[in-house]
Amino acid sequence: MIKTEPYTINIGPQHPSAHGGLRAETIMDGEDVLDVIVHLGYVHRSVEKIAESRTYAQFVPYTSRLDYLASHLPTLGYVQAVEKLLGITVPERAEYIRVIVAELSRIASHLIFAGSLAIDLGATTGMIYCYRDRERILDMFEMSSGQRLIASYMRIGGVSHDLPDSFYPAVESFLKDLPAMVSEYHGLLSGNEILQARCQGVGVLSADEAIAYGVTGPNLRACGVAYDIRREDPYGIYDRFEFDIPVGGSGDSWDRYIVRIKEIEQSGRIIAQALRDMPTGDYQAKVPRIIKPQAGREVYHRIESSKGELGYHIVSNGTDKPHRVHVRAPSFVNLMALPLVSRGGKLQDIITNIATLDPVLGESDR
Amino acid sequence: METIFINIEEFLTSWMVGMGLAQPWADLIITILQWTIIVLIITVNTIVLVWMERKVSGFIQERIGPNRLGPFGAFQTIADTLKLLTKEDIVPARADKLIFKTAPMFFIIVSVMLYAVLPLGNNMAVVDLNVGLFYFISLASLSTICLLMAGWGSNNKWSLLGAMRSVAQMISYEIPLVFSLLGVVMIAGSLNLTDIVTAQNRVWFIILQPVAFIIYFIAATAELNRGPFDMPEAEQELTAGAYTEYTGMRWALFFLAEYTNLVAVSVLAATLFLGGGHGPWLPSWLWIIIKTYLIMLVFMWTKWTFPRIRMDHLLSFSWKVLIPVSLANILVTGAGIELFRWMGW
Amino acid sequence: MIGKGLLKGLGITFKHGKEKNITVQYPEVMPYLQERYRGCLEFDPKDCIVCGMCIKACPNNVLSLESAAMPGSKKKQLVSYTIDLQYCMFCNLCVEACPTNTLYFTHHFELSTAERGAIKRIYTPAPGTPVADGESEAVIIPPEALADQVDTEAEAKRLKQVQAMKGAISKGNSKVLAKFVDSEEDASLLLIILQGDEKKQDKMAALMIDDKDKARKVATAFVAKEKRDKAKSEEGKQ
Repeated sequence: MIKTEPYTINIGPQHPSAHGGLRAETIMDGEDVLDVIVHLGYVHRSVEKIAESRTYAQFVPYTSRLDYLASHLPTLGYVQAVEKLLGITVPERAEYIRVIVAELSRIASHLIFAGSLAIDLGATTGMIYCYRDRERILDMFEMSSGQRLIASYMRIGGVSHDLPDSFYPAVESFLKDLPAMVSEYHGLLSGNEILQARCQGVGVLSADEAIAYGVTGPNLRACGVAYDIRREDPYGIYDRFEFDIPVGGSGDSWDRYIVRIKEIEQSGRIIAQALRDMPTGDYQAKVPRIIKPQAGREVYHRIESSKGELGYHIVSNGTDKPHRVHVRAPSFVNLMALPLVSRGGKLQDIITNIATLDPVLGESDR
Repeated sequence: METIFINIEEFLTSWMVGMGLAQPWADLIITILQWTIIVLIITVNTIVLVWMERKVSGFIQERIGPNRLGPFGAFQTIADTLKLLTKEDIVPARADKLIFKTAPMFFIIVSVMLYAVLPLGNNMAVVDLNVGLFYFISLASLSTICLLMAGWGSNNKWSLLGAMRSVAQMISYEIPLVFSLLGVVMIAGSLNLTDIVTAQNRVWFIILQPVAFIIYFIAATAELNRGPFDMPEAEQELTAGAYTEYTGMRWALFFLAEYTNLVAVSVLAATLFLGGGHGPWLPSWLWIIIKTYLIMLVFMWTKWTFPRIRMDHLLSFSWKVLIPVSLANILVTGAGIELFRWMGW
Repeated sequence: MIGKGLLKGLGITFKHGKEKNITVQYPEVMPYLQERYRGCLEFDPKDCIVCGMCIKACPNNVLSLESAAMPGSKKKQLVSYTIDLQYCMFCNLCVEACPTNTLYFTHHFELSTAERGAIKRIYTPAPGTPVADGESEAVIIPPEALADQVDTEAEAKRLKQVQAMKGAISKGNSKVLAKFVDSEEDASLLLIILQGDEKKQDKMAALMIDDKDKARKVATAFVAKEKRDKAKSEEGKQ
């Protein structure tokens, strides 16, 4: 009689599919996964503590470094939280600019998602095509803010620069090519039977479990729950735009992939509407140089980031520096569902699950 | 042009006999010479293939690929080989040293031995064995053991997982591979590769046996551990699978052996399905090279397009799809042969 | 039918095989940079008004400056300005804070240096450059000259004080001396000593301005010596 015993294997922190610094301690029986224990903290930079020694305006560049794949979204959440704290109204034009760059960020982040899913499954070419298209968005970020990846474009009360003239043709041609791009991903990735076989029915997360675990964003919508903060609790000017909330059915990796691809199209719709309605005017509100909110005031502001509900809880103590800033990072919460969805699957399914839960370790470790 | 290599060989033999050397000694020297040439062909081929693989992936991905060293980056592989030669040879402290060190050597030896029976042109096989196909298949399955040795000897969980995968995969895919070749053997009526080429005088077997060709192609991809079936290596899952602990020249030997196998399998495909050296105008050995490279291009094209299949899907695909289909192919082929014979063709 | 998707994928990759490459051959072909591209942070000393807004805006203490008071004015002038680029996040906050566009980003992005120290950029304004405040005719004075000037001023002030002290002593004001000795009696004694000796008077006055502790010691010593001498002469008389 051959006796078998479970063994432990570490996926990460130095592993090609660890998405940065994730360590998934996996207990396995042959190729079957018995349990996964997620270890975090390899990319910890104490961003929340840094906030306590920086002024409100100085902390803006640090927030870009939370979710570096969609760098406009975490900055947007932070500056809106500070504006809520101070009661600042942002000029119309700035709001529209913010929506455009935020949705472009969302597309960029979802393109990274599709690309990294492709390469985690071994389809190198799929990744290159996604990154090639994302490059055009980064070029637009470079036009508007001067920086490609970590733009720190948002400012308290507006944005740092107005959009340059060269930005409009670039974004319009991008929107024009977007359907062709999406159909190419469908042809190369979604239509591929191997990819379908590896994603369908893998890492199933039921709606109840997702809600119980606090999973948000596309991962929750893939379970069939149409919950989008842009619709549920509109921030900024999101109540002015028409867009659909794509939902999945079974909550498996395939749904998580398809929902994100559909969200790319919806973001394209929002950008087109924002470009159409954009007024002229100021791009920055008058904000005092030294920001000193009243002592004891606190605010919680949440936005729909590309990964899910991104919240900032800021407590003021009357000085020019915040008393405490807490970041509710969607990647951190979503990643906690990894053991749940991976148990009982194969080793290769863990890779698929990590890729489709789409964590950004800079955000989850902070 | 057609018989240039054979003429050279005959000239050398007669020259050596004329110099007073006994015939068996002259034959031995010629055989050694042939093997040296084959090893040279393998090495040069690998250098070309690595460069080609990079260029093909570059074209597919809208990149340029290697372009710094030499014209179109042609010398890039040579530079890489030099780098690998100068690398430190690391043997893990807890490894099973004997198995760890010998695995790559066995792998390359097995791969080179495949070339003994491959006809690289008309009458240009090193050994014209009457069970050539049988010899090829039995040697090809030996490479499983080499991968298992590498995985076990490394004493690393990733390596062992890769090795176990390769065993399961190669055993499963050996069967459809052999079954797909049976159809060809039945039509040609011989296991001798030269005879099989001669049997394709009028029509190539890819036309008579299209299903067998597709099955052969899929099973050969799995046998070669190439994408989308690169389970033993699977860099996104097993870091580098069975090769994880290997460095420098030991790792390069695995690499060399993989490309050697790729060429061997492609030459076999050209021989069995694409008419071997048959073709107009050009000499037979040139036709073999052209056909082999075309098949290898398709191998590369598929590798750079598809994602990796899951292990259990891979096995069930073999047992539930490929084996029944190949068995049905044998049945249809047999019935067809009987039918044609009955009709008196 | 199974396999259709696979063939479609093959078709897509085949189609792209013929397309133009998107790679930029970087060292030979420089990448196209947008106008607002944030490369290296640079500083132009001639426009700086030493307001310090950039230092206040910087989140990471990248910037620091050294300034000196301008002679005959409340304004400051720049002595040196340091950008420690290794800590820079290229966040643009200092550039936005600068009222005179003294700080700016260039398109130069190859910032690697062989030594760690080389990444620190120190700017010192050239002597003779007009001070940037828009009105005055003042020019930047080289730091050494500035130091000399500061010395002469301080020296003049000191001399004034020493003169005042000497005046007080010669006028017989024993109160100023009371700080340096233990008692009123000793102070008047010291006054007599100093009034009697011009040299001692000069030395004491200077010491009292420069180094009060030393002056105290010397003064006590003078008084003690005087007392001893007195006692001796009295002994001799007896």
